[in-house]
Amino acid sequence: MKPIRNKLSQGQPSTSATSAPLPKKEGQSGGFHSISCPRLWNWNVFIVLVLLASGLVLLKQETETLLRAQELNLWLPTGLYWKTLMQYPGGAVSWLGTYLTQYFFYPQLGVSILCVLWLIICLLLVWVYRLKGAWRALTFLVPAALMACFVQTGYWLFYQKLQGHLFVPTVGVLFSVLCLVVQRLFDNGLNDKAARWTRLGWMALVCIVGYPFFGAWALGATGLLGIYCLITPVSPKEIPSSDSGILPFWKRWEWVPLLLALILIAVIPQIYYQRWFEMTERPYVYLAALPSMHYGQESFEQFRIPYYAIILAFLVVNTVSVCEGLTFAKRLKSWTKGVAVVLLLALAIFGVSKAWYHDVNFQKELAMNRAIEECDWERVLDIARDGSSEVKPTRQMVMYKNLALFRLGRAGNEMFTYPEGSTPQNAPWKVHMTQVGGKLIYYHYGKENFCYRWCMEDGVEFGWKAETLKFMARTCLLNQEWEVARKYLDLLKKTTFHHQWAERYARLLDTPDAFDLKTLEATAKAGAPIMDEQMTREFAPIMHMMTYPDRLDGDNTLVEMYLLQTFAHGNGDDPLFQEMTLICALIMKDIDIFWPRFMKYATMNPNIHMPRHYQEAAYLYGHLENKVDISHMPFDPVVKDTYERFMKFNEQCGPMTEEQKAIAFYPQFGSTFYYFYFLVRNQKTN
Amino acid sequence: MFPLFNHIKNVLYVAILSQLLLFSSCTSPSAPTSFTEDKDLPTIYPDYIGVTVPCNIAPLHFHIDHEAEATDFVTRFTAGGQQWTLDGEDVCTGMKKWQKMKDAALAADGKISVEVFVKNEKTWQRQQPFSITVSKDSIDPYISYRLISPSYVTYEDLTLNQRCLENFDESLIYGNMINSDEKNGQCINCHHAQWYNPQRIQFHVRQHLGGTVIAYDGKLQKINLKTDSTISAGVYPTWHPSKPWIVYSTNMTGQSFHTRDINKIEVQDTKSNLIFYDLEHNEVTPITRDTTWFDCFPFWSPDGKYIYYVSAHWERRDTVNMDFELIKNYKEVQYNLYRKPFDEQTRTFGPRELIYDAVARNRSVTLPRVSPDGRWLMFTEGQYGVFHIWHGDADLFLMDLTQAAPVEPTPVAIFTPDALPAGAVPPTANNVEREAAADSLREAQGLRTPLPCHIRNITELNSPDVESYHSWSSNGCWVIFSSRRTDGNFTRPFIAHHDGNGRFSRPFELPQNNPQYHREFLRSFNIPEFLSGPVTIRPQEFANIIKKDPIPAQLKMKRQ
Repeated sequence: MKPIRNKLSQGQPSTSATSAPLPKKEGQSGGFHSISCPRLWNWNVFIVLVLLASGLVLLKQETETLLRAQELNLWLPTGLYWKTLMQYPGGAVSWLGTYLTQYFFYPQLGVSILCVLWLIICLLLVWVYRLKGAWRALTFLVPAALMACFVQTGYWLFYQKLQGHLFVPTVGVLFSVLCLVVQRLFDNGLNDKAARWTRLGWMALVCIVGYPFFGAWALGATGLLGIYCLITPVSPKEIPSSDSGILPFWKRWEWVPLLLALILIAVIPQIYYQRWFEMTERPYVYLAALPSMHYGQESFEQFRIPYYAIILAFLVVNTVSVCEGLTFAKRLKSWTKGVAVVLLLALAIFGVSKAWYHDVNFQKELAMNRAIEECDWERVLDIARDGSSEVKPTRQMVMYKNLALFRLGRAGNEMFTYPEGSTPQNAPWKVHMTQVGGKLIYYHYGKENFCYRWCMEDGVEFGWKAETLKFMARTCLLNQEWEVARKYLDLLKKTTFHHQWAERYARLLDTPDAFDLKTLEATAKAGAPIMDEQMTREFAPIMHMMTYPDRLDGDNTLVEMYLLQTFAHGNGDDPLFQEMTLICALIMKDIDIFWPRFMKYATMNPNIHMPRHYQEAAYLYGHLENKVDISHMPFDPVVKDTYERFMKFNEQCGPMTEEQKAIAFYPQFGSTFYYFYFLVRNQKTN
Repeated sequence: MFPLFNHIKNVLYVAILSQLLLFSSCTSPSAPTSFTEDKDLPTIYPDYIGVTVPCNIAPLHFHIDHEAEATDFVTRFTAGGQQWTLDGEDVCTGMKKWQKMKDAALAADGKISVEVFVKNEKTWQRQQPFSITVSKDSIDPYISYRLISPSYVTYEDLTLNQRCLENFDESLIYGNMINSDEKNGQCINCHHAQWYNPQRIQFHVRQHLGGTVIAYDGKLQKINLKTDSTISAGVYPTWHPSKPWIVYSTNMTGQSFHTRDINKIEVQDTKSNLIFYDLEHNEVTPITRDTTWFDCFPFWSPDGKYIYYVSAHWERRDTVNMDFELIKNYKEVQYNLYRKPFDEQTRTFGPRELIYDAVARNRSVTLPRVSPDGRWLMFTEGQYGVFHIWHGDADLFLMDLTQAAPVEPTPVAIFTPDALPAGAVPPTANNVEREAAADSLREAQGLRTPLPCHIRNITELNSPDVESYHSWSSNGCWVIFSSRRTDGNFTRPFIAHHDGNGRFSRPFELPQNNPQYHREFLRSFNIPEFLSGPVTIRPQEFANIIKKDPIPAQLKMKRQ
């Protein structure tokens, strides 16, 4: 029997009121025929250029985010990893998402992959929906929505529980579009009757087989197939004629696939809930593999808008596809179409820019974090010093800065010369330092058990990440827990981009003596260091900080308070540890704690010129309380002079409020301990 | 598109063909005929060298740990004159071959001999052969356990699982995520079956939709065991061997964290007592109520005549907060082993009897478990506390109950390192070694009561790391216990054969299809317990009953 499709392919016009079926020659070729048409080709180039620009903007604005994103990601080529993700519907999309996220290790490569995937989505949509001319550019609406999902991330980077969340929408949409592509290939290659049944079969297959792997994205694909079938009749000729020659819309067979799609969407997740997925709550079966926009007891619905935008973008593309077959659309001049398209694209770009998470402190935190990981302490200070923004730093940035100064041995001279602040992290929920940079801070201050604890807590709550495993491996090395360190390093060795890091640290497992501080320093002094220079620079100061006795404790999630309290009340004979106790006594403005630590510092470092801030504190406290005789202490003239000027200026500014004084004093005294003591208050830590 | 399809098709053909070739070349590897002898045993993981396994155990798949230069591996199994050869560093026999090996071994001397050949560059080396003994004693076909990260405060997905020991099938009994969301977290714990019966099990659900879920011969209930007169709802359970009665401890438990010690976490009770729950009448009756004694981890003897449990004495000394006082003095909380006789007719418990005065030895015991024949009592001993899974020094001990008798408590002495001569304790690497050295010295100096002769440290089961939770198989021939010997942090189940006379074979780690599973897996196996078959109630059925309001248990103040 000759397929009816072949007859239609000879150029019969569509009788459908909703769509313009493709000329059959074109459909049967199954390829991107129209790319060869120069005029249309220009719109493809337009899509390529827009996506290229998107990629460049992403790279320019979000390099730090991308680099951190891959650290906060873990993909393992093991059956266990796959099985773990597949416990939940949509595990495969997470698996692919984590796989692709790791390519942000090289941001250019990761962004290129992202843009190529977006380009593929656009071109496939053009082909599936047979879009022509300017309408083709509208396919960019889908990547625009995907980009909005991507760039709104901000602190979700640390709090999002969906693994591979940055790539999940792109992978999910690509899956849906590929389902449409297959559908269209079936349509082109089969006769009408077969095509009709195939439509139903394929739709059922996508939903039934796709759901365990792609979760809600498979449901989306099913819905898209339903709409596609509705707007793209298998054969208009087969439709029984009504009086007008066109069957009323609601009586057409094309409703059957849509109805089936709706039934499948409603029923299949419930069946899987009953028979297969034993770890998903019933209402969430419809949201599987979608990012959860909850944290704690709160839900942040505004972050769902880009996901709604994906649906909207598909609706626009479907509508345009339908409109192309309508008479009024055919009469539209090309410039009218062009203007409409440009307006829609402008709206999309505006939407993306509105969704984009811009926060200077966030970017600085990420950059400082990376610099600390590389032990590039000067870069940390450069970022802390950067005054391009008026926004005061977060406590985490202040702590990073103090850590860098401490490592460089300049805290006593420079600690109060940088901007102070306690700007909360720009997120609609309360960001806890433990979940962001606290682990890094604990690690470098020798609180290895607490670093390990928060890695474990995060791993349990937000999933395992390369960054967490790296911290856990290093804390275990420092704690001399070789076997568990090996476990984490072995896992990291399986990753695509962190295996070299893991192999470098795994070599330390063969030299356990390296974690004995005396041996380490003796070998370094003898010119045959047991660790390489970079590792010595990383580990030796931490080992100095680990010279305190064990006790039972808890930080109540307040990293800064915990460190201040434990160090300020700590007492150690290690010079580095001892200086830290003094620094914390200074920050806590506790005079009684300060004096014994100051005296001990002076005794332990007789040949070191007493750093400026320590002198300032001693000079100030000596005057404030007269408990300690400071008359014989050799204070620098500048310390005394600044104090005298500070007090005089204070008398001059007598009636000012504290806030006014803080502003007035800052230019002259902003870099002194006097200013910090009297005018820096209410620094709320998190 | 068609050229692309053709390309994909070609790639697929090549891939399939190469796989077929590979398969055909790998189906029957042969052991090398010329090789040199290596004096060392192979390093394999899991370490199955010299172990004894039940006749119905799943295949012992293992991985050959090797130097980087090793390129080829062949493993030859020999049993009852038959041979099987496998290649590759992952030695996976599969079910059929393994069954044949076991059958052949059982028909002969019970041994499966294993030879590992390793090729370095161009020469083959045979490492020292080892054997696996197949015991005619079978093991219960299932175990249940909870999978949990060795975490501190947070929890996300927790599952109660069951695993068929005869193969690698693992399934969920219940997972908390089916009833959890971002706003309502749910913890599940303390699963326990009545005399290995999968139809009679119980576990607790905490926080969201909390209660105790009890399945009893097809009837599912959720009970609220908290009453006004008890410390908490039921916590650590023990079923009566045959009656619908459960004894629980009730606990107020807290956690704190070590700043330097690699034990990392201390879990402490600030209050704990025992209660009796009658499932038939839904009644809770307190058994102990003294606030100066922390009674915990009850276990019903197989004849139902005794409840064994551990108890620590603690009296508040100063005015500071009780929790803080305990945290400060955590090493002083030490538990002894007690028992109470039980009269089934009157359902009453008699006065307690001290069975083992661990405190006199500066030790602390937990988790008493009596063998099904009633002769042996296995427990875990560490230096202090009751939650030994976080104590590196925790070891398994065995008591011969035929020789056990009530003892009088020795006056408590506080043991401190200061009581020892300076320099007497070597500054060894870790706390466990230090404490062990200090203990030996104290014992040598007569400062410590020696271990009674009817109790022994099960050295053949213990390791330098944690050994903690344990349970006996229903025939008493096997024990399964938790150990952190693999890496110090993640708990893994180990199984060992019991000869009936208080001696055990070398333990082996729970076999997995993927030999490296335990190395890759980032969760602990918590409370491994034997089951005579699978729990057939589906997780969704548990989920449905958990969604319902709990039935409040009635308080009955009778037994003291």
